[in-house]
Amino acid sequence: MRGLGKYLYQSESIVKLLKRFGFLLMMLFVTAQSFALDAQQRFPKPEFATGYAQPATTSPSPRFLLLEYLDIFVLLAALSVVTWFVLKKRSRKGVFWTSVFSLLYFGFYREGCICSIGAIQNMVLGVVDNTYKIPLTAFVFFLLPLVFSLFFGRTFCAGVCPLGAIQDIIVIKPIELPKWLQKVLGLIPYLYLGLAVLFVATKSEFIICRYDPFVGLFRFDAPFHMMMLGILFLATGLFVARPYCRFFCPYGVLLGWMSRFSSNHMTITPAACIQCKLCANSCPFGAINEPVVETGKRHSNVNRMITYFILLPLWTGIGGLAGSMVHVPLSHYNKTVYLAEQLIEHPELKDDQKNIDIRTFLTSGKTTTQLIAEADAIRHQFYIGGWLLGGFMGFVIGTGLIRLSAFRRRDDWETDKTNCLSCARCMEFCPVKRDEDGKITINER
Amino acid sequence: MNDKIKLAGRVAIFAAGFAALIAVLLIANYVQSRLNDPIENKTIPALVKRLNASPEDETLKSEIRAFDLIARKAYFTTKWQIRTGTYLMFLSLIISILAVRYLLSVRSKLSEIDPAREEKGLDLLIAQKWVIYSGSGLIIIALVSGLLSYNSLKEYMVNEKMSAAAGEIENPAIQPNRQAGQVEANLDPVQPNAKVEADSTTVQSNTKVEVPGQPATKDSASAKAATVSAPGLPTKAQLRANFPFFRGSDGTGVAFQKKTPVDWNGADGKNIRWKVKIPKPGYSSPIIWANQIFVTGADAQSRMVYCYDRNTGKLLWEASADKIEGSPAAVPKVTTDTGLAAPTMATDGRAVFALFATGDLLALDMTGKRLWARNLGLPDNHYGHSSSLIIYKDKLLVQYDTNRTGKLLAFDSQSGKPSWETLRNSKISWSSPVLVNTGSRMELILTTNPNVSSYNPETGKELWKIACLSGEVGPSAGYADGMVFAANEYAKLVGITAGDSPQIAWESDEFLPEVSSPLAINGLLYIATSYGVFACYDAKAGTKLWSEEYGDSFYSSPIYADGKVYLTNTAGKTYIVKATKDYQLVGTPELGEKSVCSPVFMDGMAYLRGVNQLFCIGSK
Repeated sequence: MRGLGKYLYQSESIVKLLKRFGFLLMMLFVTAQSFALDAQQRFPKPEFATGYAQPATTSPSPRFLLLEYLDIFVLLAALSVVTWFVLKKRSRKGVFWTSVFSLLYFGFYREGCICSIGAIQNMVLGVVDNTYKIPLTAFVFFLLPLVFSLFFGRTFCAGVCPLGAIQDIIVIKPIELPKWLQKVLGLIPYLYLGLAVLFVATKSEFIICRYDPFVGLFRFDAPFHMMMLGILFLATGLFVARPYCRFFCPYGVLLGWMSRFSSNHMTITPAACIQCKLCANSCPFGAINEPVVETGKRHSNVNRMITYFILLPLWTGIGGLAGSMVHVPLSHYNKTVYLAEQLIEHPELKDDQKNIDIRTFLTSGKTTTQLIAEADAIRHQFYIGGWLLGGFMGFVIGTGLIRLSAFRRRDDWETDKTNCLSCARCMEFCPVKRDEDGKITINER
Repeated sequence: MNDKIKLAGRVAIFAAGFAALIAVLLIANYVQSRLNDPIENKTIPALVKRLNASPEDETLKSEIRAFDLIARKAYFTTKWQIRTGTYLMFLSLIISILAVRYLLSVRSKLSEIDPAREEKGLDLLIAQKWVIYSGSGLIIIALVSGLLSYNSLKEYMVNEKMSAAAGEIENPAIQPNRQAGQVEANLDPVQPNAKVEADSTTVQSNTKVEVPGQPATKDSASAKAATVSAPGLPTKAQLRANFPFFRGSDGTGVAFQKKTPVDWNGADGKNIRWKVKIPKPGYSSPIIWANQIFVTGADAQSRMVYCYDRNTGKLLWEASADKIEGSPAAVPKVTTDTGLAAPTMATDGRAVFALFATGDLLALDMTGKRLWARNLGLPDNHYGHSSSLIIYKDKLLVQYDTNRTGKLLAFDSQSGKPSWETLRNSKISWSSPVLVNTGSRMELILTTNPNVSSYNPETGKELWKIACLSGEVGPSAGYADGMVFAANEYAKLVGITAGDSPQIAWESDEFLPEVSSPLAINGLLYIATSYGVFACYDAKAGTKLWSEEYGDSFYSSPIYADGKVYLTNTAGKTYIVKATKDYQLVGTPELGEKSVCSPVFMDGMAYLRGVNQLFCIGSK
């Protein structure tokens, strides 16, 4: 027993850890298989008359309003508590246990819905569709974490988001990814955000919800591929801390923007940095900036940045063009477009009794030409959206390059406000402590 | 503290071990469920097959039910085991992970990350390069995928516009404001037909006619003398003595012939008097006048009318719908289950009329000589035009509902001159017109999305309409005793009291036809669905009297003849039931080939078109 504990603490070999956690992966894989079996088509109807009267189809009642308010209250309370732990108590332990609570409540009890990440889509739909009334919970879940981020940094990510919590709990042996890889992967959330907005604006799909890798784990029910995706994220998360949060989460983009301007963001040290460098390797998210002095020739650095500034409109324009070009493949994911194309290319599908989409279309009373005209209009929306999405991505790449080329002198070890998840790990490393009386002490490590 | 660490370690190990055990059990369960998948169980289908051979075998039914119950129990038990096992495994894993985390926290171990080995001065430059590579890669992928993609919608819409423009140009003759003189100029010159057997026009009809529920009338008596060379307009009795339109002399599915056959087998030739292969494919049903039986067939090369000797099956003549002004150079794209020759022909004994999916309308005399021909404009129809023709007095009536517009057209049957045209505020349909006598007047009933409409067949004036249908309407209307019946799959079945103020008397949505038309007779209403259900309703009240699920689809329409209802499924099996309130199956003869056509009757014989052959059925 003691040997295991010792091993867990002291082993530095990823390979050995992999072996040790192999059984975990196996079990998760089996789970995915099990869910896949569970999710297959319902048992077919008997082929003879049984005399059994099918009960009338009923719709589930909406969630009790008071419970929706409870969700809002819990969100506000969890945000407040975790912010208090981060900013006042500077307690990693407090942040951790708050995230465990959030995982249990927002994850397993509320089954991942409602969540702030998905609420982006409700907001966009509310903007583009005046017949859609944004639910109060969706509105608050979207707005409140952003407001907190604007003032206190991404404390939502630290201890309230269940998707973050489930990944954070399993961070066992994190490694630091190369800077270039972090920057490249860091483009994905912008693309994901853009696509999510595009698909909602065209009323095609809530892709954030559909491809939420963890909601299947929360609900113990998901298609096989989604379960595998969740498992892959968790398996990766053993070594690459919170991969979804850092390299996929579209809401993280918005939180990052807010957090960048936060006035009360957490600091690594409660007082002046003593340059001990102990926090250097504490952040599994690569969100601690080292002190920097300008390297290379200043003239060439400035020239490079000016070039990037000049190229910014070019990136945006070419990005827009590329986005507009890809509107046809993208629009395949719209059900109306897909159905219309299917009917054009395979008209005999109208007789396919098992094709629910075809049956639904026939029930609607529309003609095929009407359907195709609708699909064509939607595809045009994708064309416009493609320009905007591509332009946005080009702009993100262009400004990313400018940021990478910009020199900003830094004397101390500081958190990167945009990417810092306020998990408070670095605080544990910092030997500078403030006791309850406000007295600053420096611990020997 | 050491006790806590020990406890946490033990909990972690025990929970992990328990999770591993559950995982093994789940694997075993998974393998077992895959090997013995109850859904793939072959026992039940085998038993069901046996039951189909002997449908009254109660023991077999009980056996199937027992097997089915076992299979269901096995399936749902497996589901329960998987779900419960998964919950347990997850719970164990969570406990294990939390215990490990607790161990970490109580030992206050600070876990440092493994840093990437980078030269700090260069990492930003490298990152810039990779961002440029990645951004460029994204753009290239987007551009290439855009270039390689194919926009079928755009092509379709362009074709639609071109087709619409072409239709406007090709179809000037049926514009409402067109002058008569101009119409004349548009008529195709009469084409002599090379393959004509003049003798076929002189055969006398000996058909016995009896109107169901009515004594024989003077008209019916005079029908005995019905001939193909009738100089004037045919009488009602003459029409009833023959089978001149789709679904009989009114288009309502009622045949007035007696002693219709109930037993045949196309495969072994039982009661098959003759059968003949039709050269070109088509889904139009046959029509009969005297000793001639007519069908159409078409492919991309040509559109043909075939006339056979009703008694021998000999091809008397054939005529091609070619050299018609305005006819499209290329045939329209149609689906294989509709084809180019879906509309059933019509005849008044003086001429026969055929319509094809190209919009070509052809009039031939009874010897196959072309009287006139015209193109109605390429119908914008994504499956293919299928509405059949019907004749009222001297007018050939055409329901021409396309994606662009809905029209009811009337042509002088002898000259082909447009008599009138009524624009309809309707969507595309595939149904056919039905002629009914409501007691006070003749009405032409049309079904489409969303209306069931009635028109004066003489003038084309709309008499009434009632919105009750939706979707792509294929079934035509049924009619009996002052009530119109209309239905469509995914819409509803309605009974409408006809008149100037039509009312929906009742409606139902239990069984709805997709293609097959309702049949109303003797106070009963028959519905056949594309999912194989044949149902009978009380026509007045709309209450279901019985329903039978046969399996194969019904595309053909039920036809009433001699106290029985004939309904052929797509496999070619005809279900013959007595036209009574209770279900009485008379027979289930098989054609031996697939069929979507409705049977027609004459002289104690039935004629049924299969996908390849035309069959004459009757005792030899």
